[in-house]
Amino acid sequence: MTTYIVRRMLQTFVVIILLSYVCFYLMTLMPGDPVELMIQSNPKITSADIERLRTLYGLDQPAYKRYANWVSSIVQGDLGYSRTYRVPVSELIGPKLVNTFVLSMSSLLLAILIAVPLGVLCALRAGSKLDYTVNFFAFAGISMPSFWLAIVLIIIFSVTLGWLPAGGTSTIGFEPTGILDGGLDRLKYLILPTLSLAYLSIGSFLRFVRASMMDAMRNDYIRTAKAKGLPRLAVVWKHGFRNALIPLITIIALSFSGVFSGAIITETVFAYQGVGKLVFDSITGNDFNVAMVSFVISVSMVLLMNLIADILYGVADPRISYK
Amino acid sequence: MSDKQLSQKEIQALEQYLPMWKIVFGQFLQHKMAVVGLITILIFVAIALLAPVISAVTGLDPNRQNPLARYLKPGTVAPLGSSQKEEAVLNFENREPQAAQALRADLMSKQLVQSVREEDALYDLAFLEKNQALEVLKKLKTPEAKKFEKVFDSFETYHLLGTDDTGRDVFIRLVYGTRVSLGIGVVVAIMATLIGLIVGALAGFYGGFIDSALMRITDSLLSLPTIPLLILMAAIKGKDFLEKIGIDEQEYTSSAVLSFLLENEAIIKLVFILLIFSWMTTARLVRGSILSLKEREFILAAKTLGAKDSTIIVRHLFPNVISVILVSVTLKVGDSILFEAAMSFLGLGVQPPTPSWGNMLFNAQDLIQEAPFLAILPGLLILAVTLSFNYLGDGLQDAIDPKAIRR
Repeated sequence: MTTYIVRRMLQTFVVIILLSYVCFYLMTLMPGDPVELMIQSNPKITSADIERLRTLYGLDQPAYKRYANWVSSIVQGDLGYSRTYRVPVSELIGPKLVNTFVLSMSSLLLAILIAVPLGVLCALRAGSKLDYTVNFFAFAGISMPSFWLAIVLIIIFSVTLGWLPAGGTSTIGFEPTGILDGGLDRLKYLILPTLSLAYLSIGSFLRFVRASMMDAMRNDYIRTAKAKGLPRLAVVWKHGFRNALIPLITIIALSFSGVFSGAIITETVFAYQGVGKLVFDSITGNDFNVAMVSFVISVSMVLLMNLIADILYGVADPRISYK
Repeated sequence: MSDKQLSQKEIQALEQYLPMWKIVFGQFLQHKMAVVGLITILIFVAIALLAPVISAVTGLDPNRQNPLARYLKPGTVAPLGSSQKEEAVLNFENREPQAAQALRADLMSKQLVQSVREEDALYDLAFLEKNQALEVLKKLKTPEAKKFEKVFDSFETYHLLGTDDTGRDVFIRLVYGTRVSLGIGVVVAIMATLIGLIVGALAGFYGGFIDSALMRITDSLLSLPTIPLLILMAAIKGKDFLEKIGIDEQEYTSSAVLSFLLENEAIIKLVFILLIFSWMTTARLVRGSILSLKEREFILAAKTLGAKDSTIIVRHLFPNVISVILVSVTLKVGDSILFEAAMSFLGLGVQPPTPSWGNMLFNAQDLIQEAPFLAILPGLLILAVTLSFNYLGDGLQDAIDPKAIRR
């Protein structure tokens, strides 16, 4: 088990390094490095100056050497400056990470709270009208483009009804007088993104809970428990659901990475200031340092969640062996 | 078991031989939503194939802009701008110079228009109110006038689903968007499944080193976070990449292949990127079924008879994984359509003016205040098609799976 975890961690680490190099290389392909920007802003610049600046910034070196330089400065804690925002990357990323974390967690929580009871109910009443209806909406959730749901929510709740803000993270210029006040303001901006992000996971969770619960309820020990005369609730939750839970844990851990990755689109639609929007804005806006750091962070989050899911798999189900 | 004797008819029905596909088809028909899905898909495929016909019949052009008719509500009639009217008249004059000549002379001699010069007669008529102009033409009663009446029909356009921010007809753009979105979805799904089939078959059949190498690649690609990578790859322009690897402008404009690739860069890149990330699940499924299939007697028989590896794989193994392939293609079309829409929505997929459902949404996103309906329709179509493909895949899976057969 320990060797397995160590090996998987090493693998994950190697993949992160590889991916960050790919990202680094692709970003160098984009036109407009810092020196080119200086040339644009300063028409009097001479070609000797350009040469000197290129050597100064190390831009004359091949990509792998520049990558090594970048890694060594990252390891020393220097994340660099953002070209667009003119602030150190470390200052930029911190609050955005928190925002994304809040968004992902709240939508995941909402999805679980809705999907698990509904899924169990559908499994117990398989083939009923309720089952069909819920299944249809679950299917619709899987088939729906997340950004479209986001737009529809904006149209309904902010354009037509005017109840909730269409985008942003908190009211600009709003000075919260207390924690409750500030929290409520943030909550207002969180509702629509959370709903649209959660609806997608609800579909797949629900179908999964239903299938695994139906599997669990077919077991002989359920029949035994019923025959013993146990109350129905005890049979369902203690004997059925606990066994259905094992694969569910993995699916939830796995979907966390999906939520994190899906948050990119949701954050972009709602102009929610999170890492996902930062990844998109910095890559398309060629903001080199920010793009690299936010890309590595989001990729690492996804890979780490996959790793945790694999480990949990073994913890939750002792029948699975690691070689 | 009841003691009831079976009647002759019932025994006959029970003994009747049913070919496999009939059983599968019968099973499939029982899944009502899957049948509805199949019908929906067929309708959309027909729309995609008939897009030019629809355009010709309705006289609508997906790229014709009309500044006078922006943000029209669904079901409104819009007049054309004056420059477009002039164009239509000019077309008529070029097409039938003699008729135009005669008509001009008629109009001038009977003083039906107040034109100074004879050349302007038709244009002045065209700028009159439609009913007024038609009355004038009716008075003439010449065959030329009848011909010119037709030109007036094209002066007004009926917008079933309204118009967008540049006055383009939403209906015909959605029709052409069906072509692009469905086309990309189907192409990606088929190609991804083919790649998955080949990789899975090789890994499953040969095992050993080939298997572990191929499966390592599959697993690592499967664990990658798709969307950040999609954004990254889509943001890089093909030109910059070519210049970086040492191909300069002269070379790529002279090479037919490269210039074709660059012209259609957005769509080709999109298909390529989607392909990279969508063959893995099929590969794993195919590998799984081939692992168990290759232990069966008929493969042993083929081997003893001296069949080549390629023959065994293509002739004996592929037909047995058709069910896996079929389901995988169907489900993948839905996924690919969603991905295409997401990329185009971020502005990184199909580029305007080519309409796709995704970039119509991208366009509509900023116009939520002015024209909310622009954002609703493309999304509804994406939802309908993806849902149909998912239900179809679900139905096929149930129908093909022998364990699910209900008798």
